[in-house]
Amino acid sequence: MEKFSFKDILVLIAGLFITAGVAYAILTVTGFIPTDIAKLFYEGAFVGQRNILNTLNIATPYILTSVATVISFRVGMFNIGINGSMYVGALYAAWAGYRFTTLGHLSHVSLCIFIGMLVGALWMLMPALLRVYAGVSEIISTIILNFVAVLFVSYMCNGPFRAAPIAPTTARILETAELKQYFPNSEFHTGFFIAVFVAFAAYFVLNKTTFGYELRSGGDGLVGFYPSRYSSYLGIPSDRSAITGMLISGAIGGLAGAVIVLGNTRNFYQEMAFNQGFDGILIAIIGKLEPLGGLISSLFYAALKNGGLFVDYKTEVSREIVVILMSILIFFVSAQKIVSSLERFEFVKKLDKFFSRKVK
Amino acid sequence: MEWLEVFDISLFRSVLRSMTPIALIGFGAAMCSASGVLNIGLEGKMLNAAFIGVAASYYSGSALTGFIAGVSAGVLTAILFGVLSFNLGADEVLAGLAINIFAIAFTRYLLETLFDRRGFFSDPSIQGIDPIEIEFLKDTRFELIFSGFTPSVYLVFFLAILLYFVYYKTRLGTAIRATGENPEAAEDAGINTLRMKWLTVIFSGVLAGIGGTFLSLENMTLFTEGMSAGKGYIGLVASSFGFNTPLGTFGASGFFGLGDAIGIRLQGVYELDSRLVLMIPYALTVVVLILIGVRQRYRVRRVPIDISE
Repeated sequence: MEKFSFKDILVLIAGLFITAGVAYAILTVTGFIPTDIAKLFYEGAFVGQRNILNTLNIATPYILTSVATVISFRVGMFNIGINGSMYVGALYAAWAGYRFTTLGHLSHVSLCIFIGMLVGALWMLMPALLRVYAGVSEIISTIILNFVAVLFVSYMCNGPFRAAPIAPTTARILETAELKQYFPNSEFHTGFFIAVFVAFAAYFVLNKTTFGYELRSGGDGLVGFYPSRYSSYLGIPSDRSAITGMLISGAIGGLAGAVIVLGNTRNFYQEMAFNQGFDGILIAIIGKLEPLGGLISSLFYAALKNGGLFVDYKTEVSREIVVILMSILIFFVSAQKIVSSLERFEFVKKLDKFFSRKVK
Repeated sequence: MEWLEVFDISLFRSVLRSMTPIALIGFGAAMCSASGVLNIGLEGKMLNAAFIGVAASYYSGSALTGFIAGVSAGVLTAILFGVLSFNLGADEVLAGLAINIFAIAFTRYLLETLFDRRGFFSDPSIQGIDPIEIEFLKDTRFELIFSGFTPSVYLVFFLAILLYFVYYKTRLGTAIRATGENPEAAEDAGINTLRMKWLTVIFSGVLAGIGGTFLSLENMTLFTEGMSAGKGYIGLVASSFGFNTPLGTFGASGFFGLGDAIGIRLQGVYELDSRLVLMIPYALTVVVLILIGVRQRYRVRRVPIDISE
């Protein structure tokens, strides 16, 4: 995967303008004044401490799932099953949160997070091994695991881990296992810093270390995501890096689930529904499969979502318009031919060269 | 063995009903996979069709209009998928995922904007598609088993046989399979592979449209948010369970339907947890996928040995 180049940014900006145009059209047709709605969007996402904190809180799981997507895609594995990892990670983090009673705050939180990540990683072990040793498409097997995860956590909530006789939930996690919420008016919690740390760590490991290079070499040689043997020519076992990448991706997915349980809900209940795993894939694509790109586009997406909630609350406009616009943006950004057709223009080529030169 | 009481005629009927959408999607997915397109956007096509079907039926007061509108919605979504992945060079998997996420938001948005509802929409003026009573089975013992289903249920049986012939016995079927197995060779043999892919994608759109209207106009006459509930994905899984062949997909969807029907029956009645039953088809799919994968590996590995001999 190439680095951000000028034409990508051009396509992204053009895509943003087009989606804004679509939004304008939709709002006008349904009888609203687009500029007013835009103002409300802005207010809901950024004005006031509470709104900013909520935006960051919404962004937390998206950052993690998009980083998980980035890592799995960069090693050449189409991991659609991050949602499954989130479910099991969340469930077992909740279990560890009430099960271990004699620990201090830091050790307990670390243990819960570790268990969530471990379970999330183990959840991805099977698709990784199946892909490498039996040639089973990881797309199909992770889709299967998504279903199995929902059934499994729902079974555990009703069975072994069920605490309340009335509702199928686990027990509330102990106070020592909670990720701290700092402000009384928002659910913003320490998990955000963990997520940002993970994004930066992923950026550093992927781009600056030998280990990261070995990981990437399995996937970066993929031409339009189709497998090649590029890394084997370099003497790097792509099978091993594919498995490792998949496990890391699963672990971060599990972390995303754990952070939600430890920071927001404080227990696991049956109706818990995650879709951040799927949305994270789209966010990672907009971020051009770079960890920091994922971080930025997660914040962007979360701001839109939070703004959408405010707009929904204040007016008749449905909050779903945000997701519609986001998927239209994805349609545009993922269309490789639009990007490559820009190369025809001389100034794009020149600017491309200008931006991609190495600064020494 | 009191849980054996579950197996009776009404279970059979409910198996047929729950397997119908899975099989319809599965046939589409199988044809797409046979032509080398991994179509994971079927979920979104189905959901769009389900909603548009209900909306059209509500406004026009006619079930047929609803059905046609629903199928058109499925086809239009399929065309969107095709344009994105064939004409604009987007990755198939990403285009499919984006369409699924788009469809969930799109139907919710329309639900709130058009009908001012959240969660679900049901209204007496939505006309559903009526079940068919088969005349010549009347007053025979088969009436209880085979009569009184909605058209799509019969369509599944018909399609399984039709597709079997198309798949194995016609030039078209061979061309589709050749496109998936070896695109370059197929091109050399004069097959327009892109046209084959478009054909299967549009076909899957039609079937997803029928599957969607089955959910919202035949099985029930209402729309609920995300009512496709993963059936698009399950259909895809069923088609890989069935080796991407028509009859295999039919059998696999029957299996998923059986799991579904037993799961509903067991809910809260017996000790055996329904969720564990629901997991069985998925576990078996994994086993089948492993068998397919190992068989392919074996085939690939054998070639150099043959040369050395």
